[in-house]
Amino acid sequence: MNGRGFRQHLYYAALWLVALFFFAPVAWIVLSSFKTREQILAVPPKLIFVPTLANYTDLLSRQGLLLQVFNSIFLSVVAVCVAVVVSFLAAFCFSRFKPKGTDFLMFLLLSIRMLPGPAVILPVYLMYAGFGWKDNHFWLVMFYAMFSIPFSVWILKGFLDGVSVRFDETGLVNGGSWFHVIFRVVMPQVKPGLIAAFIFNMIFVWNEFLFNFIIGGVSTQNIPYALAVGTYSDGGVNWTFIASMTTIYVIPPILFIYFFQKYLLVGMTFGTVRGEV
Amino acid sequence: MTAVSGSPRSSRLRRTRVAQALDNRGTLIATLLVPVLIFFVLFNTIPTLWLLGLSFYNYSLTSGSPPSFVGFRNFIQIFNNRNNIWADLSRTFTFVVFGVGIQTVLGLALGFLFWGSKEMPGRRVALTMLFTPMVLTPVATGTFFRFIYDPDFGVLNVILHGLFSTRPINFLSEPGTAFWAVLAVDCWMWTPFMILMALAALGSVPKAELEAAEVDRLPWRKRLTLVIWHHGKFILMLGILLRTIDSFKTLDLIIPLTKGGPGQETRLVAMEVNKQAFESFNMGWSSAYSVLLLLISIAMTSVFIFILNLRRRRGA
Repeated sequence: MNGRGFRQHLYYAALWLVALFFFAPVAWIVLSSFKTREQILAVPPKLIFVPTLANYTDLLSRQGLLLQVFNSIFLSVVAVCVAVVVSFLAAFCFSRFKPKGTDFLMFLLLSIRMLPGPAVILPVYLMYAGFGWKDNHFWLVMFYAMFSIPFSVWILKGFLDGVSVRFDETGLVNGGSWFHVIFRVVMPQVKPGLIAAFIFNMIFVWNEFLFNFIIGGVSTQNIPYALAVGTYSDGGVNWTFIASMTTIYVIPPILFIYFFQKYLLVGMTFGTVRGEV
Repeated sequence: MTAVSGSPRSSRLRRTRVAQALDNRGTLIATLLVPVLIFFVLFNTIPTLWLLGLSFYNYSLTSGSPPSFVGFRNFIQIFNNRNNIWADLSRTFTFVVFGVGIQTVLGLALGFLFWGSKEMPGRRVALTMLFTPMVLTPVATGTFFRFIYDPDFGVLNVILHGLFSTRPINFLSEPGTAFWAVLAVDCWMWTPFMILMALAALGSVPKAELEAAEVDRLPWRKRLTLVIWHHGKFILMLGILLRTIDSFKTLDLIIPLTKGGPGQETRLVAMEVNKQAFESFNMGWSSAYSVLLLLISIAMTSVFIFILNLRRRRGA
């Protein structure tokens, strides 16, 4: 092996070590999900053991699990779909017509996302409690949609600004309606923005716990709620449940960041930074 | 929505149609904006006004008595350090400064390390593994780190014992270590984000200029200040700012880890609002506290937008 090749291998090995270091706690969770309770609590911790699937079969027989899984999927998919459609229209308007107060509205939208969760949810909680909207799928979806809108508007406006106005003009001059221009001419060109907005809001709602806990209830609880509330059983922390549930629950986000890696940057910076890593 | 349909036959007709569409611009703008405004007014403007109003009231959900107007009393109490809230604010400040500082330094170092690894076999898998901490459910992260930190069967104490033969340390219950233990988890979660931002910043440096610097035999220090910093600084600043804002909000990591304890060692502002509002149900007092936080986050948003505009003006 020549020197350069060896150095290259060393460099790659170092990179893999860094990646593995950050992944190690996750790996520990995954490993624990195949252990029995005694094996999880063993001192010193066991690296080699006979894996068991008992935790996963226990998970299936857990009461209310189906509802929680359904809620997790339903809330994130529906809320984000609503948010992305609404935001796309608004972003198109902001980008093309720049109505008075655009900058101010964009600023207000962003500041919602900058406020700590309890401060956002406090007045909403009083409102929901007053109107009897708590523990209701529709109103929870509406709130999550509202919370996803700022993020999506920011991402989509960035992308729409990059689409030349010429496209709109050509479409209109050739006799297309605005409806046609917006959905057939412009929308396909901002697909990356739509995907980024969709995925990153979805991961947010997917992992969201506080809002679900405060303005949701028994019938709308999602998996993070279950993870936070169902932590204790039989006088101790229910580690087997946490390990196996977390392992299953983290699979969709991991798949998202694997398959949509090029949207990661756009997604995590409100669309303010573009590019690939 | 304007009804313009059918194919145009003459240029005159075409012009009328464009004119027609432009005439209805107002309607179009309204149609596009109405949905977002409904959402915004119903779920944000009204609640925020409600919050502002409530902050002048004494309103406890547990006492059952109706809200009573107290004027500026809540705000005066904030300044008089009720519930020791200045300690929370300064603790949050320390948390943000140390957390973001460590994450930035580590992120930059590792970003430089990952720079130029485009050809690496399995790079995509490695990056996915690196970024997983960011997308793991925070509640689960917190709960599981409590297990890792556990003095009796936690893996960290076993490792420390093996390496330095220390006695078991109860990281999360000892006043001296709890804050730093939480901070360490935050760093584990968010250093990957700073790596991502560092990679983006480095990626925004034009190849041609780097090659020119290579040809000119520019020393490394100058390359860093003249070429890399010049192009990468805005993205890095945005990254630091986004992290600052997010770490100011830290909550769902702390709930399962320490619940703010021991004492109030790990009680950050978000944690305290959460406790006052949804455990003690002191709505008036926590509204006033929230208004304070709202002002802080508006200030941070302004800085964010200022940097964005700076970047746009320089065309970087």
